[in-house]
Amino acid sequence: MSFPLENALPEEIRAKWPFAPRYADVNGWRMHYIDEGEGDPVVLLHGNPTWGFLYRDMIEPIVRSGRRVIVPDMIGFGLSEKPTREQAHSLDGHAANLTALMRQLDLTRIMLVCHDWGGPTGLSFAMSNPGRLRALTLMSTWAWPMPPAEFHTRIFPWRMMHAPLVGPYLLGRHRALAGRGVYLSVVDRHKFARNAQPAYETVLPDPASRLLTWVWPRWIPLDENARAIERFRWLEQELSRSKLPTLIVWGREDEVFDAATFSNRFKKMLPHAEGPLLVTGRHFLQEDSGPEIADLIRLFLNRLDKKEGVR
Amino acid sequence: MTEVTVVGKPDLHGKRLSFALAEDRVAHYPEFRDFFIRTFELDRKGLAEPGYVRAPSGLVYTLVFIGRSGEPFPSGVEIYAIVDALEPVDGETLDQDLWAVLRWMVGGVGEPWTVEDFDRTGRLYRVPAAPTT
Repeated sequence: MSFPLENALPEEIRAKWPFAPRYADVNGWRMHYIDEGEGDPVVLLHGNPTWGFLYRDMIEPIVRSGRRVIVPDMIGFGLSEKPTREQAHSLDGHAANLTALMRQLDLTRIMLVCHDWGGPTGLSFAMSNPGRLRALTLMSTWAWPMPPAEFHTRIFPWRMMHAPLVGPYLLGRHRALAGRGVYLSVVDRHKFARNAQPAYETVLPDPASRLLTWVWPRWIPLDENARAIERFRWLEQELSRSKLPTLIVWGREDEVFDAATFSNRFKKMLPHAEGPLLVTGRHFLQEDSGPEIADLIRLFLNRLDKKEGVR
Repeated sequence: MTEVTVVGKPDLHGKRLSFALAEDRVAHYPEFRDFFIRTFELDRKGLAEPGYVRAPSGLVYTLVFIGRSGEPFPSGVEIYAIVDALEPVDGETLDQDLWAVLRWMVGGVGEPWTVEDFDRTGRLYRVPAAPTT
């Protein structure tokens, strides 16, 4: 199912998301993305259960700094096509979707900004297309087999939330993740409920459209038999060898991918990385610190330009 | 005491199956598939007949088990309310019944899955059918 059209977004959401919609056929699916500004590309990747809207406060500042900003909506989310079968989704398939878009746009010198499932999918693209990459930013994500976090091993609430039949009921019929789940994972909940929550709920209007919200949790490896275990092993190995300039930004209040465990593990994998730089934020740190994160990315890229003698 | 009971095939004359919920991956946690095999004797019956349960509202629900080549049976399950053929379904009743059926399922799956954790999860996400305390 596809969300009808971007102009079906309520006026108050469109006012916060004034970007021209673009669509591409990627890997057999219709992907929505925006493409703003000129210069070296900065590609902003969201995860579950958000869409490009998560980056609304970061796009203009990065464009103003002389960069081209591309924000795709993952297939299954936002204004992109939403497959109705669980089997339509896989980690490799989503990485291939992104790869198709990056190749169609023929992007090189990409600064890839990864959040949540934008990490495993984006980094899979990056590690298999290193010639297109210039730098990485990592935020509240992971890139190793298991366990992702102690939180993900618990039955309450994580495993119960996406258990057989319970997932389609709680996350499908009752949009537990797209609504209250995100609400619980920001710092300023009042502001979020007022300004942003409707934008996440609107684009996932019915149970079938919310399929990916309970499918992604099932792709997190919890044991050696997990479907994506080999991909995550490969990802960890490849990323550990990467010399790409990297910026690590994390939410100080993130209790799902807690900074002490996750950002430090990335730092150990990528000792040359800048950071971790802590900002106000839980898992969806862009909601609380979007402009600040945009500024950190802008300054990081400026330093990179200077180092490379670009400007 | 459970509010959901396994029942025999009801009289379907003048009724229709109203789709309620589907699961494509019932063995994501294999103990859930084991529960359905155990409860509805699926090792013996296979695809021959669906399961039926009576929910707190009195409505009977049918559980249609799905097989996929190359995967242990069942791989999926669909739940339908059996309702009067031309009558619409009451959404609130359906939701409360589904809650009860899932709670019954979780209790039947057994440790480490508990109805207490199911209730807590429902409360956390403010599902209307979840008990308040």
